[in-house]
Amino acid sequence: MTTSTSTSSLDRIRAAALTCLLLLCGVLLPTWSASSHEASMAVITLREIAPGRYLGQWTMPPVDPTLQPIFPPHCRWEPPELVCGERGLIGRLSFMGLGSKQSVATIKVLPRDAAPQVYTVSAAKPIVMAARTPGTDLAVWLDLAETYVNLGIDHILRGIDHLLFVLGLIWLTSSGWMLVRTITAFTVGHSISLAAATFGWVGVPERPLNAAIALSIVFVGVEIVKLQRGEAGLTARYPWIVAFAFGLLHGLGFATALTALGIPQATLPIALLFFNVGVEIGQLAFVMVVLTLIWAHRQARAVLPRWGVALPAYAIGSVAAFWFLSRV
Amino acid sequence: MRTKARLLAGATVAAVLALPTAAHAHLVDTRLGDFYGGALHPLTELQQILPWIALAALAAFQGARRARWVIAAFPLALLAGGLAALAVPAPPYESLVGIGLVAATGLALAAAARVPLPVLVGLAAVMGLLHGFQNGQGLPASTDRLLFLAGATAIGYVVMTLATGAALAFLRGVGGWRPIALRASGSWVAAVGIMVLGLQFFAPTAS
Repeated sequence: MTTSTSTSSLDRIRAAALTCLLLLCGVLLPTWSASSHEASMAVITLREIAPGRYLGQWTMPPVDPTLQPIFPPHCRWEPPELVCGERGLIGRLSFMGLGSKQSVATIKVLPRDAAPQVYTVSAAKPIVMAARTPGTDLAVWLDLAETYVNLGIDHILRGIDHLLFVLGLIWLTSSGWMLVRTITAFTVGHSISLAAATFGWVGVPERPLNAAIALSIVFVGVEIVKLQRGEAGLTARYPWIVAFAFGLLHGLGFATALTALGIPQATLPIALLFFNVGVEIGQLAFVMVVLTLIWAHRQARAVLPRWGVALPAYAIGSVAAFWFLSRV
Repeated sequence: MRTKARLLAGATVAAVLALPTAAHAHLVDTRLGDFYGGALHPLTELQQILPWIALAALAAFQGARRARWVIAAFPLALLAGGLAALAVPAPPYESLVGIGLVAATGLALAAAARVPLPVLVGLAAVMGLLHGFQNGQGLPASTDRLLFLAGATAIGYVVMTLATGAALAFLRGVGGWRPIALRASGSWVAAVGIMVLGLQFFAPTAS
């Protein structure tokens, strides 16, 4: 085992920025550890029992019991029955009570003589338009795009384990070009597995999946420590390979947010596309913030003392190991 | 004409800052939960974000070797202040102290004052404690306080680091106008602080 005798100032600058971010992760640890992948969703299913008459039932009950659907004005909602008359269920759909506890709620409509329709309402997109033929209505498609882009952004920003993994990748890359390739590889990897899992081609139980995701972060922590000791392993030389491989794993985690909604096959490709776009937007925003912080630390020459350079790696590993144990 | 416009803008900012409910009476509801709610909370408070940027610029005037201590001290004080708010009641004249800090930081920046390191760190600590306290006050029981305060601390670290780094980079650039521009911005902050302080004592009553 070799010990590091000369640590570059860039490493110490990065370490200072990453340590600050990790200290915040440490504060969040007790609250976010167990719930990082649990989607706060609710699903109400409306089955048409007669023309314009529906029977409603919570197929995924809300976490917040005060959550209530809001239907178009011409509809009368007397749980469990919804009466919309001849016009049927068209117009504005929303939920009262969406917020930090219940971020997403879905209305699934099962008409008697048409394909099922799913409308996802989120705090970011509090109103969606219900139409009889969503396949040809541009406004409905735009609603769908906005909803799922926001859902993707929400999912990555609330998924602290994904962000921690990305933080580790930033640490492992030695140049800007290498970082671009690594992040791209991670994106390609999670996009492939996200699509595969959403279409039902692959399926992994949620609990071991989340444990494996935590383990992937432990791996990154170990790789950082090895790099600091001067042992340039596979990850240090080809970080994009590791990013791609673990991206496949993280993509399965992203898919849990979509598959839980029970989106019908007709709208699944577009929902998947925009969800992935949202994930990328959130991920790129996070990478930009971290890079800007590293730049600012460099300007202020705010570095960690030599003895503290290894702190971020151990912090990443420790946090992830805690998650792994709590998820197993 | 330009002076009039400046006075008008300054008075507007001062009026906004002087709103009695501005300091800690509202919660920012984001769809992303209490961490992001806490992170967004100080950003909606001109009374907080303005002195943060002034403090970062003042720290930059002291050079990188001193400025970096502010990056460490400020968020830690912010967190300590937030935690203190969960346990102890608000200190007297809390609001006045806050406005006084705006004026003092602005004046020091406008004068490009050479501040000893303990004073600079002390200023960052007092501002962090006070603003942390204001962020931690009045949180409803439904809010996850730890997450909320972690969010406020995170944004304190991010803003202070970015503003200090940007101010240092700005001052390192070519051109003698750069320090003057930063000092001018300090004078604006000081003017706003002094105006708000005046409004606290001589504000016209509604009746």
